Amino acid sequence: MYHSILVGYDGSKASDKAFDNALSLAKSHGAELYVLTVSRPPEIGDDVETEAVIENSREHHRKLLVPLRKKAAQAGVKAHFEVAVGHPAEQIMSCADRHRADLIVVGDRGRSKFARMLLGSVSKTVVQYANRPVLVVR
Amino acid sequence: MTETWTLAALWLGLALLAGLASIWLRVATALSEIVVGVVAGALIGTVAMGVDLQWVRFLAGAGAIILTFLAGAELDPEVFRRKWKEATAVGLVSFLAPFLGCAAAARWLLGWDPAASWLAGVAMSTTSVAVVYAVMIEFGFNTTDYGKTVLAACFITDLGTVVALGLLFAPFTLKTLIFVGALVAIALAVPWLTPRFFRRYGARASELEAKYLLVLLFGLGALASWADSEAVLPAYVLGMMLAGTVGRDHALVRRLRTLCFGLMTPFYFIRAGSFVSMPALIAAPAAFVLMLVVKVMTKIAGVYPVTRAFQAPRKEGMYTTLLMSTGLTFGTISSLFGLSHGVVDQAQYSALVTAVIASAVIPTLIANAWFLPRHHLPAPTSMARVETNIAAPPARGRGS
Repeated sequence: MYHSILVGYDGSKASDKAFDNALSLAKSHGAELYVLTVSRPPEIGDDVETEAVIENSREHHRKLLVPLRKKAAQAGVKAHFEVAVGHPAEQIMSCADRHRADLIVVGDRGRSKFARMLLGSVSKTVVQYANRPVLVVR
Repeated sequence: MTETWTLAALWLGLALLAGLASIWLRVATALSEIVVGVVAGALIGTVAMGVDLQWVRFLAGAGAIILTFLAGAELDPEVFRRKWKEATAVGLVSFLAPFLGCAAAARWLLGWDPAASWLAGVAMSTTSVAVVYAVMIEFGFNTTDYGKTVLAACFITDLGTVVALGLLFAPFTLKTLIFVGALVAIALAVPWLTPRFFRRYGARASELEAKYLLVLLFGLGALASWADSEAVLPAYVLGMMLAGTVGRDHALVRRLRTLCFGLMTPFYFIRAGSFVSMPALIAAPAAFVLMLVVKVMTKIAGVYPVTRAFQAPRKEGMYTTLLMSTGLTFGTISSLFGLSHGVVDQAQYSALVTAVIASAVIPTLIANAWFLPRHHLPAPTSMARVETNIAAPPARGRGS
């Protein structure tokens, strides 16, 4: 029985699927749903620009969450929405700890090996490091 | 005008390319623009690019001034008022350690003349406030005493850099005295005048707020230049003094950013990159390596003990310290000031700018590889455990 489920969301098709799965699981288990989007500053940043990126990115992520709020309300699931700043995998695991999530749901974008090498994979990192069940949706 | 439009298209084409590269590589646009400038300078040549044309120099200089103003305006005055003693102590250490360390290394290990050595110290002393701010938000430290102190300290570090740049090379004549006096008078008057002016004439289509700020910035820039000082000093001071008014007006800050990033700063950073001489750098790489190593070591020596004194966990402390080595904006501004005023030659400039770039890239890579604090397990779980983890509903209750 799940009591709380955390889903990582970034607006991609894979994360849409992850959200739908998490919502459906939350509904069937009567669990609370935590939806987290992560605004990511440049890896190598500079002064004013980093502040601008964080501001714009937070705004963008807040807008991403608007349709999800409606979906969760329609499904009758108690949902919480957060926008964090930092490395997505780190923030997902930290948020899961904070809310004692029973399950983490993430989408897998199915990037090529080369793209994974360059950009890393959030889902792979979460699966590797999380100390709780992880559902990867493709 | 054909030549002017062609050159403008070339510069903005390079800026577009740099912007796209910064998105693909997830690095600061400033960094990408400097690198594009280095490549363009080598392939096209600085003369063909028109780097010394008056209008190119104006756009580049205006970009540096507005960018510096915006950096100063990011200060949180309330936090600063509460934490100014601790912040000043930490900020001064963070400024003085690399400033004196790099100046000494340049003077006695590289044999640079005294003025060039002091400039090396100034260029290497900077810290990127916003990068540290991002780290503080990431760890949730931005609301703690530790986070607020470190953030406020970053402003002191950068203030140290701009004051050193503005006054260390000034001739200290009557002009210097007039410039400093005018700066102090205007800096004290603007926090009173600005909100009143904005209330009376603000929020109109004619953008009077932007014009008001540009008059102040360009006017003080002219005064600084007349006194043989540097225009970024009054810009940063003005930014700090107006942080409580302009800094909180997000719509105005965004409009200034659009002006700055969209048109002006690309000219500044590409121009700065174009002066880097790769042959000179390859011929004598020791200066670049030494500046980088001394900057990082002195930042660690100066800042890491402070993070530990605030009982920040080891990894978070080292991560913050390493990211405090980033300082592209002021590092580049200081180096270019040195080149344009004949304080350093092109080979020394090339070593300084490359060290500034490397000090943004290498400590960040080290920080992410070895000091990124893991909230969870120190090592990846085994694959067997991962497989059983996937979609397996837990048998335990919540929070057990």
